[in-house]
Amino acid sequence: MPALHELQSAFLRAMFGPDEPELLETIVGDGLLPAARLQIYRHHVLTSLTDVLQATFPVVCRLVDERFFRYAADAYIRQYPPEAPCLFEYGAHFPAFLVAFPPCRHLEYLADVARLEWALHRASHAEVRTRPLDPAELGGLAPHQVAQLTFQFDPSVILLDSPWPIDQIWRVHQADEEVYAPVDLNEGGVSLEIRRWDDDVGFRRLDSAMYTFRSTLAAGHTLARAASAALAASQEFDCGAALHELLTDGVVIGFTF
Amino acid sequence: MVHMNMNSKLGVGIGLRAPHVAEVLATRPAISWLEVHAENYMGEGAPLVALERLRADYPLSVHGVGLSLGSAEALDNRHLSRLQRLITRLQPALVSEHLSWSMAGGVYLNHLLPLPYTEETLAIVAQHVTHTQEVLQCRLLIENPSSYLRFAHSVIPEPEFLGELVQRTGCGLLCDVNNIYVSCCNLGGDPVAYLEALPVRAVGEIHLAGHAVNDADGQMILIDDHGAPVSDAVWTLYDHALARFGPVPTLIEWDTNIPELALLCAEAHTAERFFQRAEEAGYAGVA
Repeated sequence: MPALHELQSAFLRAMFGPDEPELLETIVGDGLLPAARLQIYRHHVLTSLTDVLQATFPVVCRLVDERFFRYAADAYIRQYPPEAPCLFEYGAHFPAFLVAFPPCRHLEYLADVARLEWALHRASHAEVRTRPLDPAELGGLAPHQVAQLTFQFDPSVILLDSPWPIDQIWRVHQADEEVYAPVDLNEGGVSLEIRRWDDDVGFRRLDSAMYTFRSTLAAGHTLARAASAALAASQEFDCGAALHELLTDGVVIGFTF
Repeated sequence: MVHMNMNSKLGVGIGLRAPHVAEVLATRPAISWLEVHAENYMGEGAPLVALERLRADYPLSVHGVGLSLGSAEALDNRHLSRLQRLITRLQPALVSEHLSWSMAGGVYLNHLLPLPYTEETLAIVAQHVTHTQEVLQCRLLIENPSSYLRFAHSVIPEPEFLGELVQRTGCGLLCDVNNIYVSCCNLGGDPVAYLEALPVRAVGEIHLAGHAVNDADGQMILIDDHGAPVSDAVWTLYDHALARFGPVPTLIEWDTNIPELALLCAEAHTAERFFQRAEEAGYAGVA
């Protein structure tokens, strides 16, 4: 009779690997092969996790077709099984896995579409902060304090860029999209801001200077540093206008100086 | 403490699932209470905010599926803290988990996996239930699992194992009538005798759901997929359960092939007819 710890270790191995005779010996057949009974559990573990990934990455699934997606998901689950029971957190490594997964290496944009879907998923589950920053709170600051400002972003905000038009690819592969419009992969890359607006999660394109400005701030750097990085990206960058927009569109929820 | 005396007001509820949340928010159907899976609301994001909006109109039950009370290894303390935070925030009328395991070696197997019913397992589960009740500051209801296999070295019948767990920890039981039916069909056993073997006063909640009938090498196997209406045999067994345990808060669960909300509510109303008959008959739970 195996100790419980031993039995559970063997059961775990069997969920992702072949049947082990020692484990099968502990299972009563009751008219079926013990292996057939074990297979019921293995099937559920693998298919339920595949369903979780398919619900999180529906556009990737449509891009590669469902059969291939489930094949890739199965390989992913074996390589990166969940480490905790909250399955809305499961799938973080899937974009990186796709980059390295040989059968889809030729689909160079696929991993970036997966990153976009993961960002949308994370934004929808991000902690809800109800009170955006009131710009009046910054009214009394001296110029040198303004330069040293850092901002706390709403937890749902994610900044993501790609050399591919992943927003277009995402749009034309929505389930309710009736007309399939081909996407020109050569049209160039995008810089996106993903976030929650009220009850909805969505994204918008930022130009490269604005993307640099916001992603530098989101990384915790000062306003002075973000402004000079944005100016390096584009001489046209208007720091005053960018700051005003940042403070009024609900993206930031706090500041320090 | 979470106040368990709210139970007396609970009739028949439904398991609230993501596809129905918006409609329940908009239409507030006439349902006695709602149960949610704890793990879906631990992100403190939009799903939890929506649920908090429903709290004013419906008593809630928090049903954990991932605590893995039957793991030989220690409980996942991070997960237990998240459950504690959720319960503090929602103040549910009922809190429940399963007699099963799902964590081993730092891996979460997304299933309610079977345990050998031995003295060793009983000691481990009892210790985990006691620790959980201390951390959560409430009484847990422990649900009987649906099973597809049993272990040769299991020596304690499942209802007796649950009864002993109640004795040792002061926990209550969540009697899943469909699970009893599924397990008895799959492993052999008499569902009515199973019900008769459970300690009457410990049962604080009943679950009902549909199952699938599959063929495995010529033998019938029932799969507890919560993907169909409650079967006639399970309705009959529910009637037995009400006669034995009294009108205990009852839940309809539907997790795959999720139907329109109206159909789910219609199942709940069917259960209500059984429930009301039990109330009128004055079943108080036979000792």
